[in-house]
Amino acid sequence: MDVKTLTKLTKWMESTDLEEITWRSGDDKISLKLNNNPEHNTTIASTMEPVLSPSIGIFRFARPGKTNHLKEGSSVKNGQELGVVEVGKDFKSVTAPSNGLLKIISIEEGKPVEYGQPLFFLEPK
Amino acid sequence: MFNKVLIANRGEIAVRVIRTLRELGVKSVAVYSEADRSSLHVRLADESVCIGPAMARESYLSIPAIISAALITGADAIHPGYGFLSENADFSAACRDNGITFIGPSPKSIQQLGHKAEARKMAVKAGIPVTPGTKDCVYKDAAAQAAKIGYPIMIKAAAGGGGKGIRIVREASQLANEMNMAQSESKAAFGNGDVYFEKYIELPRHIEVQFARDSHGHTIAFPERDCSIQRRHQKLVEESPSPAVNKKLRDSLEEAAVKLAEAANYVGVGTVEFLLTQEGEFYFMEVNTRLQVEHPVTEFITGFDLVREQLLAASGEKLSYTAGHSVPYRGHAIEHRVNAEDFSRNFAPSVGRIEEWLVPGGPGVRVDTHVYAGYNLPVYYDSMLAKLIVWAPDRAAAVARSRRALVDFKVKGVHTTINAHQLIIESPDFQAGKTDTGFMERLLAPAEPAAAK
Repeated sequence: MDVKTLTKLTKWMESTDLEEITWRSGDDKISLKLNNNPEHNTTIASTMEPVLSPSIGIFRFARPGKTNHLKEGSSVKNGQELGVVEVGKDFKSVTAPSNGLLKIISIEEGKPVEYGQPLFFLEPK
Repeated sequence: MFNKVLIANRGEIAVRVIRTLRELGVKSVAVYSEADRSSLHVRLADESVCIGPAMARESYLSIPAIISAALITGADAIHPGYGFLSENADFSAACRDNGITFIGPSPKSIQQLGHKAEARKMAVKAGIPVTPGTKDCVYKDAAAQAAKIGYPIMIKAAAGGGGKGIRIVREASQLANEMNMAQSESKAAFGNGDVYFEKYIELPRHIEVQFARDSHGHTIAFPERDCSIQRRHQKLVEESPSPAVNKKLRDSLEEAAVKLAEAANYVGVGTVEFLLTQEGEFYFMEVNTRLQVEHPVTEFITGFDLVREQLLAASGEKLSYTAGHSVPYRGHAIEHRVNAEDFSRNFAPSVGRIEEWLVPGGPGVRVDTHVYAGYNLPVYYDSMLAKLIVWAPDRAAAVARSRRALVDFKVKGVHTTINAHQLIIESPDFQAGKTDTGFMERLLAPAEPAAAK
């Protein structure tokens, strides 16, 4: 079986629900297994570090009167304030746990958050 | 009635409140700490919100976190349960300031009746007998004030509750030392070191009267509960009515509770605690401005749902019964508090995973709990697993029902106090209704030398 056929076969497999097939032709035998099991995906995600909400409350990217130009892809420093959670009259600081790249912002301005809810995902440097 | 109620509590009481809310068609919001993610109240509520880490100070005791949870979920009222913030006037005020109804009395009532010395003054004014003691908190001349009352005396924390912050002094030489300890204990536990003195009554019964009052001025007092069976001031068994109270005494107790509720212009449910002497005299002790752990015994003999009465009173409606101060009751109810404690090792706390959990059922049996098989007991909170409540037409039948239900109660994975309850109900004194606050000490005393062998 040449590489071209193999590529075609793999592409076709991805379009189906099949996870594994075995092809036999004479003495030739080939087994294909798609690498899409959830455990594997989890391993990829776990290289990112979640930034959790320090409190229940309302999320703000910046304290009143301040602005914050955080974007996905920005690089952040350990201890940098990424936003605040407003609870009563208090503002609880959300800070980067390490130096890294801000990969995902999973919260919007003014949205309610729970204690321990992931707000950002960093790729530590 | 409210649309959505947030329950600022955990455990069996949160489950208990959710059940009434569902029956009334009111939506419920559970709040939980990180340690309670898998607790039953979270699973039963219509919505749930994580409010903080395991430590109660940063979750169930955090006023800003709970108010924020109510505002975010759009709850129009908060039920505080018992313990935690249930008797905190600042919390009641914070609810009011944020446009949320606190399901409990006003901040003023909590302050007046929750502060023991203030409550005592109010009782005196309402003509209710009080134990001899100091009129105010003791700041100076402690020795002279104690001598005037006559030893033995009790030093009690003004802001105390749940049996905490009480010290007994039998002679003058111990006073200074005990006073210091009581003040620092009270300061640590309640953030307030104020104490007062009271005459110590030997082997009294602990009798309490549940009352409910609405904003239209309807007041009901329920038949007394007898909570004499205690260990280190923690109640273990409660029953209603009390085997030591006759109709005449019941009428006087109920009348006292009604007078006090009216004098305080109280709205909500509450409990007046009394000491009953061996001679049948009663003295006012304190008021609990919340729903109590043992409220189901009252519900069982009267058919009332006290959480419903709380909701009615808090929403400005009338109580469900407005035909008088006294309500009819039938039969006898007993409650057993089943704790995760090892009775054979001096009630040491037991933690772990509940491997097996089979609760009793059948006629006249009620179990209020937040526990299920597979539940991991968090170590951060109190040790109560369940309340087993039984009802029967008379006391002897209720004791027999307790005996049967305790045998039916199967728990594996942690130690429980089920065997302690079996020991209690097999005691001839308990069966004869001869109980007082020294009952547990006497019951456990003979076992100690045997264990030492």
